[in-house]
Amino acid sequence: MSALLEVRGLEVSIAGLPILRGVDMEVKPGEILGVVGETGAGKSMTARSVLDLLPAKATASFATCTFAGQDFIPPKARQEARGHRIGFVPQRPRGSLNPVFRVGNQLSATLRRLRDMGRREARGEALDLLRSVRITDPERVYRSFPHELSGGMCQRVCIAIALAGEPELIIADEPTTGLDVTIQAEILRLLGEVISERNAAGMLITHDLGVVADVCDRVAVMYAGRVVNVGATAEIYRGALHPYANRLVSIATSLDSGGTPREVPGRVPNPGDHLAACAFAPRCFRAGPGCFDREPPLVNQSGQVAFCHHPVTAGVVPR
Amino acid sequence: MTGAADTLAIRDLTKVFRIKTGGFRHADLKAVDDVTLSIPPGRTLAVVGESGSGKTTLARLILRLLEPTRGTVLLEDTDITAMEGAELEDVRGRMQIVFQDPYDSLSPWQTVGRTVAEPLLLHDGLTMKQASGRVADMLERVGLSPEHARRYPHELSGGQAQRVGIARAMITRPALVVLDEPTSSLDMSVQSQILLLLQSLQEEMDISYLFISHDLSVVRYIAHDLAVMYLGKVVESGPAAEIFASPRHPYTEALLRAAPRPDPAHKTDHVYLVGEQPSALDRAPGCPLYGRCPISEDVCADTPQELVDIGAQHRVACWKRI
Repeated sequence: MSALLEVRGLEVSIAGLPILRGVDMEVKPGEILGVVGETGAGKSMTARSVLDLLPAKATASFATCTFAGQDFIPPKARQEARGHRIGFVPQRPRGSLNPVFRVGNQLSATLRRLRDMGRREARGEALDLLRSVRITDPERVYRSFPHELSGGMCQRVCIAIALAGEPELIIADEPTTGLDVTIQAEILRLLGEVISERNAAGMLITHDLGVVADVCDRVAVMYAGRVVNVGATAEIYRGALHPYANRLVSIATSLDSGGTPREVPGRVPNPGDHLAACAFAPRCFRAGPGCFDREPPLVNQSGQVAFCHHPVTAGVVPR
Repeated sequence: MTGAADTLAIRDLTKVFRIKTGGFRHADLKAVDDVTLSIPPGRTLAVVGESGSGKTTLARLILRLLEPTRGTVLLEDTDITAMEGAELEDVRGRMQIVFQDPYDSLSPWQTVGRTVAEPLLLHDGLTMKQASGRVADMLERVGLSPEHARRYPHELSGGQAQRVGIARAMITRPALVVLDEPTSSLDMSVQSQILLLLQSLQEEMDISYLFISHDLSVVRYIAHDLAVMYLGKVVESGPAAEIFASPRHPYTEALLRAAPRPDPAHKTDHVYLVGEQPSALDRAPGCPLYGRCPISEDVCADTPQELVDIGAQHRVACWKRI
């Protein structure tokens, strides 16, 4: 199946420092892709590049960028898709709503702009959207200011706003960070449901491997500005090829079972740090001399793709 | 629950905040309501709950950063609830805290060495020169090098900054350390480093930890005992392994069911509790979970639930589950 969104060779630098160093990523129709990585891995930057929402000092270049067959390299194409064809759910829901306007007005203003609706029509559609994100008293929420709503409720409103343009792809950037566990579960379920109800696709950015296991069909693991491992969620959790991805899964599963996690030495590199040919090599338990000066080759095995000289082929190791 | 040998024993600890509700009206908010807990030496008690459950207020009461409305705090069998002045300052060296945000909790103007030495200067009356040897040892112990003493917080990564916070807390060899979400702002790979460090320090110095967290996977790994809080009340407590294996209180069950697990075969149970956590001001006089609980009955609304021991130190505040 051809991809809905296909990005190849995306490079971004901010003030001369390389942030993304050749990101390849694709989202297939109807799937939810999880994008996992630690701070500075480039998860949000990848999403922002697709939406043409990079910070002012950033420069981006793509080798390929297509959305449903359309060339997305011209910034104008990406700007026009924003809101219409690609919806965005932010990390801090209350912070992304305007504090001085009622949330209903913010939602209907979005509808009037994106779908050329009149006032009355937009109000009716806004209430429908609030209902579709499982808000039981849409009239009250419509009249509320953001500070009168809980964090979970604000996030439902943001999801409704993201749905306003009837997008084909919904990008959610850490949508449940800062929410309580029980609310997080509800928001994730809601996201999964609204995406499948609309036959849309999703890109879910997170650092939580539990969240990925719960809602994502495929996972892309990023490290230091590159995607190092991609595969079906079940395959990645059964045994990721890339040692970094493999270790992350191993840490998460040992903690979850009350066992002692394996340590990953060192720290995540900062932008501008000198990087080895494989950026993970200095922290890697499988690294050999070649890892430091030869570009890691592409390994395609058991439904996964990874960039590594010494891929892990023995499941999740070592426990 | 109270033994003569406990590092920390709190009894009936209560904190009521008087909140202005507009005009001349006030309302009483019970942030911590009749909490009784204890921690033996070298053990970790995790306090788990969602935002607004009172876990941070509880920590502040224990450290005497807030005055309790009622109840007692015993640190190593000494009642510190009413202590003041120099006496209290002495006790503070025996109890320390590690904060959630490692950068916010370090002074940006002070070198790492000065920050780590400060408790020794305050509590042991040492000079900077006398302290420097112990500071260097402590920095090495937490996985930094003595050269880090000359650095400033902005030169450190998140993991390194948290190691400095831990070094500062441990340098007086305290009996009790409160860990307030110490790993939740750290990256995954660094998080496990910090957990392993905390565990080895505990084994080496026989420290008791009060570990505050909302991350159940971290708690599952580090906690010996567990107390689950909801709207200021402890609703379930006991050995962590026992509670994870067979949670009894509906709220504990909801938390465990809602927590996403790193296993694609396991699907999170999304709907269990009804609605969202109300404000502690609007709490029912009976069970705090009344209104959201899937198994509640009318009597739950106004019958207060006390913790009842159901064997092996496992205690539950729900009449339907004892």
